[in-house]
Amino acid sequence: MLRIRNLQTYYGRIRVLDNVSLSVKPGEVVTLIGANGAGKSTILNCISRLIPCREGEIFFQGQRINGQSPEAVVRLGICQVPEGRQIFQPLTVLENLELGAYLRYGKRNRGSIQQDMDMVFSLFPVLAERLQQISGTLSGGEQQMLAIGRALMSRPKLLLLDEPSMGLAPRVVADIFHTVVKLRQEGLTILIVEQNARAVLRIADRGYVMETGKIILQGTASELLEDHDVKRAYLGRDYREFTEGRA
Amino acid sequence: MSQLQLERLQSTLNRAYKNVPFYHNCLGEACMDPSAVRSLDDLSRLPLTSREDLGKNYPYGLFAVPLRDIVRIHTATGTGSNPTVSGYTNSDLAMWTEMVARSLTAAGVSADDIIQVCFDPGLANWARDFKRGAEAIQASVIPMTQLEIPKQVMVMNDYKTSALVTTPSYARQLVREMTRMGINPNSLSLRRALLLGESLSEKSRASLEAALPVQIQTAYGLSEVPGPGIAYECRERQGLHLNEDHFIAEIIDPETTDPLAAGETGELVLTTLTAKAFPLIRFRTGDRASLSTEGCSCNRSFARLHPIQGRVDQLVVIRGIKLHPQLIHTIMSRLCQGKIPAYVGFVGHLEDLDLLEIWMRLDEACFSDEIKVLEHLVHTVRRELEQSLGIPARVRLVEPGTMEDYSDRLGQIINERANG
Repeated sequence: MLRIRNLQTYYGRIRVLDNVSLSVKPGEVVTLIGANGAGKSTILNCISRLIPCREGEIFFQGQRINGQSPEAVVRLGICQVPEGRQIFQPLTVLENLELGAYLRYGKRNRGSIQQDMDMVFSLFPVLAERLQQISGTLSGGEQQMLAIGRALMSRPKLLLLDEPSMGLAPRVVADIFHTVVKLRQEGLTILIVEQNARAVLRIADRGYVMETGKIILQGTASELLEDHDVKRAYLGRDYREFTEGRA
Repeated sequence: MSQLQLERLQSTLNRAYKNVPFYHNCLGEACMDPSAVRSLDDLSRLPLTSREDLGKNYPYGLFAVPLRDIVRIHTATGTGSNPTVSGYTNSDLAMWTEMVARSLTAAGVSADDIIQVCFDPGLANWARDFKRGAEAIQASVIPMTQLEIPKQVMVMNDYKTSALVTTPSYARQLVREMTRMGINPNSLSLRRALLLGESLSEKSRASLEAALPVQIQTAYGLSEVPGPGIAYECRERQGLHLNEDHFIAEIIDPETTDPLAAGETGELVLTTLTAKAFPLIRFRTGDRASLSTEGCSCNRSFARLHPIQGRVDQLVVIRGIKLHPQLIHTIMSRLCQGKIPAYVGFVGHLEDLDLLEIWMRLDEACFSDEIKVLEHLVHTVRRELEQSLGIPARVRLVEPGTMEDYSDRLGQIINERANG
């Protein structure tokens, strides 16, 4: 579904992505894990075309999307839930959700939009209760739900989730991940960037491990959970000097 | 498949470059870094790795993970004084188990079979992998033991072995022993055999299939580095399917090291895609082969490897064990305190069986008027050879006159086997 080859991106003169290749198959939940600054969010921003990539190719459903505008990418069916939610704080919950469906706004589509909104409410009942509330006054978890709901309103084929657990209470994080599992069961393809490696690897099919702009490891989620490097670096387990024992 | 291979190749290179000083320096000398590899074709621009490089980095120099992540350490004969040491993490072992299971399944072996694994001690590494692979497909496995051949035949008969995993030489030995013991092979439960370690010619396959009531499949592996299941034969017997999700194979011209096109015969070069502990980047196997990418009627999409007998280097394969002439020299110089007698090695058939024989010239370097001293020398050389190779060997002292015919081939190993 999504295929990236040799992606290179620079912030100024600093190379932040170095030859990144990855792929996501339809119906998969794939995760990118890695330390702060490894380039995980940059990859998502490249896919959404929010930042340009210097070299490399991004294909979505066989179509090259390198030169496309961010709007065009959304129209193709890729929607990103940005890091830190980025909801329209002064607007109400309802208005935020309606904006998510901006691609097909108009009288003719009112029915289908209402349908999608009902789907979002069934996923996140709390949003239905707060329809007229100013979204900036929602709690962190509710804001994250709203951000995901807003993205779903665009009827994406591929959902990009950037750090959905950031700054949330563990209980809420579990709820969010539970939603991801539900969405996947409904056939949505998801690429998810996460610092909470252990939690995300429990729900993902596959994962890529990033380090300073490079992919250093990939595998099924269960393989990565068992991998010593991943345990050391991201699950906070046994760390000793690497050179130990080397002649 | 190419996207998967590229992703895995790039992350393997990133890991090897970061964690293994040897690969870091190799790429550095070629003024490259892993980001130079943008496609599978770019692989051919990377430097090659040789068996000598494995020896130079003895013991742990090529490991790409800390030792505490290693769960198994394998040793194999090297080309020089150092053996080759390779390491495996838990996930590496799981990957090998899967590959061995694939080759067993392709050979028609299933959970209903009783598998007997027979190897010479030198291939004990492979025996361990086969034990795990056979367990993975839930077959009943009789692991390798140090039994004498007659005992192996007895086990085969009494335990009702249905699948045999061994080398072609060992299989021939078993056949001969059955004849000697008066056991009719047709009375055995044996139905399938997976023979590997040596290249299996159609002729010897046919003669073994005539002698044993089995269907024989073959497989390809490396004895020193990873293991036995790199490529395996399917029912069609039209070449060996390479596990392309774990390896990239290239065929190069052994002289110029230029890559050759599909179908051409040259030296096989392997790159690992999933190995964590012991990644290999463009490892020169020394084996001659060609590669074909056309589809196979068994519907497996993996490219097929066609091993060709003979090697591009000086290594001699005896019963699946690779022997480098330098190794004999190393043993000799250690035992003879610098005064190395002239010697030649022969690999020949003795009653169907490959045998290594060393002729040492009885000259001033080792002469003694005491028979005891000479006998001791012969004995220690033989024991050393057997210990480091894990296969039987013979040592003879010969008159200088006898050696004259070989005066230009001293220190070499002469292959006297008909099939090379």
